Amino acid sequence: MTVTVKMIGPFIYAAGFSEKTFDLPAGTTAGGLMDLVNLEKSRPKIVTRNGRAVAPDDTLEDGDRVVMSPLYSGG
Amino acid sequence: MFGWTGNILRVNMTDRTYKKETFSEEFAKKWVGGRGFAMKILWDELEPGIDPLGPKNKLIVALGPIAGIPAPNTGKTVVAAKSPITGGYGDGNLGTRVSEQLRKAGYDMMIVEGVAAEPTMLYIEDDKVEFLPASEVWGKGTYDTNDWIYAKYGKGVGVLNIGQGGENLNLYAMVRSLEGRAGGRPGIGAVMGSKKLKAIVVKGTKPIPQADPEAMKKLGTADLRTVHEMDKKSGWSIQSTTGVLAWCNEVAALPVRNMRKTQHPDAWKIDGERLNDARIATYGCPTCTMRCGITIHDREGRESELDYENIGMLGANLEIFELDQVGSLNYLCDDYGIDTISAGAVLGFYADAIDRGAITGDFKFGDAEKAKELLRIASLREGEVGNMLADGCMRMAQKIGKGSEAYAMHVKGLEISAYNCKFCPGMALAFGTSPIGAHHKESWVITFELKQTVRESYGREKAEKVIELQRIRGGLFEYILACRFPWIELGWELEHYPIYFNTVTGLNWTLDDFWKVSDRIYALMKFFWLREKPDWNRTMDYPPASWFDPANADTEGPIAGKILEMDKYEELLDHYYDLRGWDKRGIPTKKTAAALDLQDEARTVEKYGKLED
Repeated sequence: MTVTVKMIGPFIYAAGFSEKTFDLPAGTTAGGLMDLVNLEKSRPKIVTRNGRAVAPDDTLEDGDRVVMSPLYSGG
Repeated sequence: MFGWTGNILRVNMTDRTYKKETFSEEFAKKWVGGRGFAMKILWDELEPGIDPLGPKNKLIVALGPIAGIPAPNTGKTVVAAKSPITGGYGDGNLGTRVSEQLRKAGYDMMIVEGVAAEPTMLYIEDDKVEFLPASEVWGKGTYDTNDWIYAKYGKGVGVLNIGQGGENLNLYAMVRSLEGRAGGRPGIGAVMGSKKLKAIVVKGTKPIPQADPEAMKKLGTADLRTVHEMDKKSGWSIQSTTGVLAWCNEVAALPVRNMRKTQHPDAWKIDGERLNDARIATYGCPTCTMRCGITIHDREGRESELDYENIGMLGANLEIFELDQVGSLNYLCDDYGIDTISAGAVLGFYADAIDRGAITGDFKFGDAEKAKELLRIASLREGEVGNMLADGCMRMAQKIGKGSEAYAMHVKGLEISAYNCKFCPGMALAFGTSPIGAHHKESWVITFELKQTVRESYGREKAEKVIELQRIRGGLFEYILACRFPWIELGWELEHYPIYFNTVTGLNWTLDDFWKVSDRIYALMKFFWLREKPDWNRTMDYPPASWFDPANADTEGPIAGKILEMDKYEELLDHYYDLRGWDKRGIPTKKTAAALDLQDEARTVEKYGKLED
């Protein structure tokens, strides 16, 4: 399955890309996807799928758009 | 008394007099500074019902006990008055050297009264105050005015000034300082203009009284370095606040087309990535080591310093997706001295009203050149359209009618900042209950709503979070006086701030002591409203009707078909009032007032409106 990952703000420069499509085996979880990108695990973040937050053990589906962002606080 | 100078500078523009007054340690401990001082002075000294743009309103410039001290990020100053756009208490903070210079001149606060006979600049140097003619720059923008001031006094002075927007009483005129800094969204620049006060310039040479200045210097300098290192490590200031635009677009919270929509496929063209690529300079406030002012060349080749609210409201909300054109609109707002958020909301509302046939006109979403012209006539109050635009969304809708009130995007008269909350109940509550009108500075809970709760929820935990953040953002940082960014964006712990406070004052406060001050100020802001509007009711804490209208729900994307529900919002509002100890109207009870040491104020307000026990 393919999943598109969009990085936000400083994560773009840490991960080395702004937007990228990943070919993943069926059953890959959000946590599994996060292991594939170069982001510090301990760093607070919000991961959303199609506009809703996901937990690390949530299973991804073909065509998902996953967004990884620092915890912005609205300026 | 350490930490505070204990002095107020009272200036009368009518008779060109000034005097130094003192305040007590009890006053200092009860109200701390900044917003707290301003709120209490305006409560005590303003007659209810006065014209905010008349001679009886007072302009307050207020500092806090850590303002101007070398520590993260203390270069902030509060400007306040009765707001001409809301009719309630209004204020804002801005980065300026005034925070240090006014304290070094020996004052924690200025109270400006009356109206000058001709355009005037106040020059303050320690105990000396001069009333100088400013006709030479009356009618000029804030950048030319700053150049004029710097040519006279050098760049080290503290400056507050206004542009043509303030001079012409545009109701969302701001106070400006250096580079892109501005503050006082609720029309504080118009109050300054009504007094024919073009600029305040301050130079001080005295030490700021501190209990342990050596310890503070050592601590503050080390912490400034640490915050800088935290910023570098996190990469936050690569895009600064503008990084959130792309996120809002992804999660459907971006203001698009007068907040009719929450996403746009072209949003990427004006996002933080593009802004960082176009950067020619970066500016920041005094004593800041995580500078956020990303500066680009605008369409006309001028320097324009942008943050998220600017690109959100002058870009996405107007469907203008050319970054240099957004830069131009931002430059014009800064130069005219009007608020970019309200300007974006006003033009968005105007385009929407034309689009829906409620009014005739030739402005359309996406028309950057026409938007420039509209900003000019709104700032100069030129013609019928310019005068209408200068009055803000609420008054525009009252004039236009035809149901336009539903999509005039304001709360209490103040336009909503750049977060579209048609399906963010907690953030809608934050905007709704902000006592100065819809301002993001008071509380911001969208990531909390999405990550730690269910977005659909109207649960009590959302009201608790809104209040928690109002105590910190609308409270602590607004009266101790420091920028909230090290804490909210880098995770610089709140516990540092009582340490700074205790080091300069010699007191021994904990964070809990501050939360009581925060609640006291919020309660008095509500009493101010009740005194002005005895018929106050909870509808004043409602967001606009369009956020509850199923016909306004997104038709595609992650929140398709979703919209706020009024009955559930009412329940959330009940939770909020209950947690605060306020009645069903949203007014503090006598019991709450007593717990916050506001018995005298409660007795006063009861002359105007009844309080519940």
